Amino acid sequence: MNAINYKKHIKRTRKTFTSIIRFALLAALAYQLLYPLLYMLSMSLRRPEEAMDPSVIWVPKGFTLGNFTDALRVMDFWDALQNSLIIGVGCGLLDVLSCAFVAYGFARFQFRFSGLLFTLVILTLVVPVQTIILPLYADMKYFDAFGIMQLTSMVTGGPDSISLVGSYWAFYLPSMLGMGLRSGLYIFIFRQFFKGMPGELEDAAYMDGCGPFKTFFTVMLPNAKNAIITVFLFSFVWHWNEFYMSNLLLGNLKKNFAIALSSLRVDLQSVVNVQTISDPLVIVTRIQAGALLAILPLFLLYLVTQRYFTDSIEHVAVK
Amino acid sequence: MLKQLRALPYTKKKELYGFLFVLPWVLGFILFFAKPLFTSLFYSFQNMEMTPEGLSGTFIGWENFQYALFKDPAFIREATGSFVNMLYGVPLILVYSLFVAVMIKHKFRGRGFMRAVSFLPVIIASGVLMQILKEDVFSQGMRGGADSVYLFTGAGINGILQELGLGAQLIEIFNNVISRIFDLTWRSGVQVLLFLAGLHAIPGYLYEASSLEGARPWEQFWKITLPMLTPMMLLNIVYTIIDTFTDYGNGVILMIYNTAFSQVRFGYSSALAWLYCLLIAAFLGAVYLLLKKRIVYMQD
Repeated sequence: MNAINYKKHIKRTRKTFTSIIRFALLAALAYQLLYPLLYMLSMSLRRPEEAMDPSVIWVPKGFTLGNFTDALRVMDFWDALQNSLIIGVGCGLLDVLSCAFVAYGFARFQFRFSGLLFTLVILTLVVPVQTIILPLYADMKYFDAFGIMQLTSMVTGGPDSISLVGSYWAFYLPSMLGMGLRSGLYIFIFRQFFKGMPGELEDAAYMDGCGPFKTFFTVMLPNAKNAIITVFLFSFVWHWNEFYMSNLLLGNLKKNFAIALSSLRVDLQSVVNVQTISDPLVIVTRIQAGALLAILPLFLLYLVTQRYFTDSIEHVAVK
Repeated sequence: MLKQLRALPYTKKKELYGFLFVLPWVLGFILFFAKPLFTSLFYSFQNMEMTPEGLSGTFIGWENFQYALFKDPAFIREATGSFVNMLYGVPLILVYSLFVAVMIKHKFRGRGFMRAVSFLPVIIASGVLMQILKEDVFSQGMRGGADSVYLFTGAGINGILQELGLGAQLIEIFNNVISRIFDLTWRSGVQVLLFLAGLHAIPGYLYEASSLEGARPWEQFWKITLPMLTPMMLLNIVYTIIDTFTDYGNGVILMIYNTAFSQVRFGYSSALAWLYCLLIAAFLGAVYLLLKKRIVYMQD
């Protein structure tokens, strides 16, 4: 009797011990990850004079929202929000559709050059955008799809190319054809995912007389919920944060958040600092407010979808 | 025509369908990748100049490449720098993210919160914002504000390590690791996510069966979890390597961008980009060949 009690006791102490260790580790981790956010929040609520005050630890002495109103104005917040949303949501949806479609072809069909083509998919990931950014810009500026425009212009006399720079099509078109921002990765993710799905599913659909396309849209895609959510979130976030391409391709359109953020320091200096010539202290708090505003929509989206998103990670297995 | 198609043998038909699925990508590849890529290869052998009529180039052979490899003091230095950075980064990021993923897999109180926090880098840590954060958060430490006791400066540990009698080289490696920790944890959101998805994809009956046979959690980790995770591992390794090489703040990337858009040397910039690409491709190829045989795919 005593021995059993003793064993139970050992087990319990061991359990509390491991949970204490885990708590300590996770607390350190959480602090590590939340530090920049807390820093931004603390900075952006301070009055500019307090920015460098060593006696202010985390909680500012005088709360102010002035930093936010200034940042809102300087960043053209609402225009940037609209722009970023149009690009992010549109490209996210298109990326999901096109990449899943292509990846299914790679995952389930053997055809000539399929291995080679898939190597090329990986290659598109390896090549930095900077390598092709200049010719790509030229292509977008004088866009004629495979010379089709040129042919039609010979017949009908229309223009032989159109400029996609300054229109959202410059972002949508590559996404539609599975060549958008990091699309190779999405194809890779979808392919791994489809490969892991049991073949019986499709066999059943084939038995029922579905063609491959119908099978894909009615059986595979609805079951790939987890991969779809992951890819959509990635695509949305990366388009939101992407700088180089949007800087070139947005053209005359209003800036989006990435551009607004990258020029925020300079913009603030020119707008806020009119009377006191380049006082760095005035910038410090406002730039943090701006940064916080730029990620706020992402953060809200994350908070809303987070539950659904983390849940979906668990349900990879097809039921 | 349609009848002919119907009459095709099954395997041929499957091939055709496979190609139809991939076709959109092939179009996109040619239009938005292959064509610009070859144009930039063409540029890299040219001395490009901006003239009033537009871009014009004269053929100069290998001169751009020779200049980059043998004369330019910055390129080799930056490239080695980012290579070393990657060598430190990849193993650390992988181990860290696997560790975190395993920790937050099982149920405990506050798991939802922990998960939400550990995926935060996925949303936040990209590009421009990271740059702003780095500039301000890190410089805060140098100004010596009261809340600047930021954990990750290796200086204090040096003395202890020397007392322990470790060699200078080991200490240097250790310092490099420590100084990168902030950077690394903030770059491993995607990896944690992928590992977690991979962990949940491992069927539970494997663990049940093995524990019936008397396997301990430690053994289960090495003999079940790790082999079943290898496909995700490959994905993560490839992703991490590419991510470190093409990061917004990467020295070579900045150099390529600046050479093109502030110094207006399009030809030289293209040559640099091509050299850098070949380096990455060669490295990835080697890694892939090395790992290919170790990948375990689940058989039904």
